Amino acid sequence: MEREALLLTLRLAAMTTVVLVALAVPLAWWIASGRGWGRAAVQALVALPLVLPPTVIGFYLLVGLGPLTGVGRAIAGVLGHPLAFSFAGLLVGSVIYSLPFAVQPLVAGFRGVEREYGEAAAGIGMTPAATFLRVVLPMARGSLAAAAVLTFTHTVGEFGVVLMVGGNIPGVTRTMALVLFDQVQDFDYAAANRTAGVLVLVAMVGLLGLYGRWMRRGFDGG
Amino acid sequence: MKLGYMKWALGVALLAAWCGVGAQGQKKLRVFAASDLQPVMPAFAYGYEKKTGIKLQVSFGSSSTLATQILNGAPADVFLAADFVFPEKVVAAGLAVEKSAVPYAVGTLVLWSRKDSPIKPLSVDLLTDARVTRVAVADEFHAPYGRAAYAAMRWLKIEEKVKPKLVKAENVSQAAQFVESGNAQMGFVSLTTAMSAHMKDVGTYATVPAIYPKIKQCAVVMVKSPNVEEGKRFLEWMLTPEVQGHLAEFGLTSVR
Repeated sequence: MEREALLLTLRLAAMTTVVLVALAVPLAWWIASGRGWGRAAVQALVALPLVLPPTVIGFYLLVGLGPLTGVGRAIAGVLGHPLAFSFAGLLVGSVIYSLPFAVQPLVAGFRGVEREYGEAAAGIGMTPAATFLRVVLPMARGSLAAAAVLTFTHTVGEFGVVLMVGGNIPGVTRTMALVLFDQVQDFDYAAANRTAGVLVLVAMVGLLGLYGRWMRRGFDGG
Repeated sequence: MKLGYMKWALGVALLAAWCGVGAQGQKKLRVFAASDLQPVMPAFAYGYEKKTGIKLQVSFGSSSTLATQILNGAPADVFLAADFVFPEKVVAAGLAVEKSAVPYAVGTLVLWSRKDSPIKPLSVDLLTDARVTRVAVADEFHAPYGRAAYAAMRWLKIEEKVKPKLVKAENVSQAAQFVESGNAQMGFVSLTTAMSAHMKDVGTYATVPAIYPKIKQCAVVMVKSPNVEEGKRFLEWMLTPEVQGHLAEFGLTSVR
């Protein structure tokens, strides 16, 4: 079993989920709390990774943020090494790649919370921050769970970006998706079957947790 | 209402006709070529089309990727690999016309770095230099040039020292890309890549002592191809003195 690769993949997915949920909650709240061209533009930007090939992200990370550009040199100065071929690089790639999977369920969830609840909370003297944390967020917790699960499973399934900027280094950037690719290339179909099975299992458990939750509670965002 | 349907029907018919256009026309030969041939194939394709009127439709990948695809039914007419092992797998599966893969060129492994790299002069001695932190190499098991690079490092007894610096690419083109983009300071690439116009422009190469097993690049023609005869003729053309005499200009050695 490719234990090292599995642990690395789960670590990458977990860290991506933590970073993305922290970024996505305020961003989604801002998008959901109004209308207009500015918000539409941000929503379009957030949705880009859904429709762009992962090679676009890989290309920008490798060349745009590589040591030949000013931004790339600044990043290398902070990290002590270029983004490519490092765990940090994969994390940045995964955060961009999974961004819509975190933001979109949250926007839908926040929009689904009736305005009256916010007004009532303001009526009894709650600050907007307190209203958000103690009224809106708990009511949209189903969407929060959806955002976390989708981000996690989508990151486990990432391949194109990792292939382009990872460098296939065991324990650093060699994820399960790459292990599977290598096993197929090596004609080791028995091992490839095991790896693919683990990936299917991880995805299925995550998604079953998500839809099972909706089954129990009904699709009410709560 | 009726006119509306007519418009749609006309639109769909036009779209179908447009899709069909691609299937018509010139005679084509589908060539699966190893990544080291990426800088070479355009010249070959031009020469072959001029001579025969047959257009080469080339797909690139590591020899292993291409062999896997062929074994799983990919529609290739000719497979130009970067070694003997991968086309032999196609032979073993009974998918090749030949009883044994046919050598068409010999490849050379080099070390490549950008001209603006501060770490000079380029040679295999630099691989163990502390200032070098990232060395690009093609995958040892999928790419013949990667296999040659590992063999060379083993022979030089520097594999353990260089290992922590190695970043693995899927094929030799990607290894070159890692260095070209500045993400790795040097890398093992094919001489064909190092001699391509752009790579010559931005970089320099140093030869790796010829201590690795000979990179004997071999080809096979697919037995199930609808263009078997054309495929055989293309491979014969590759072996003519006319083509073999030009190989050196592209970083390959003749097998004649």
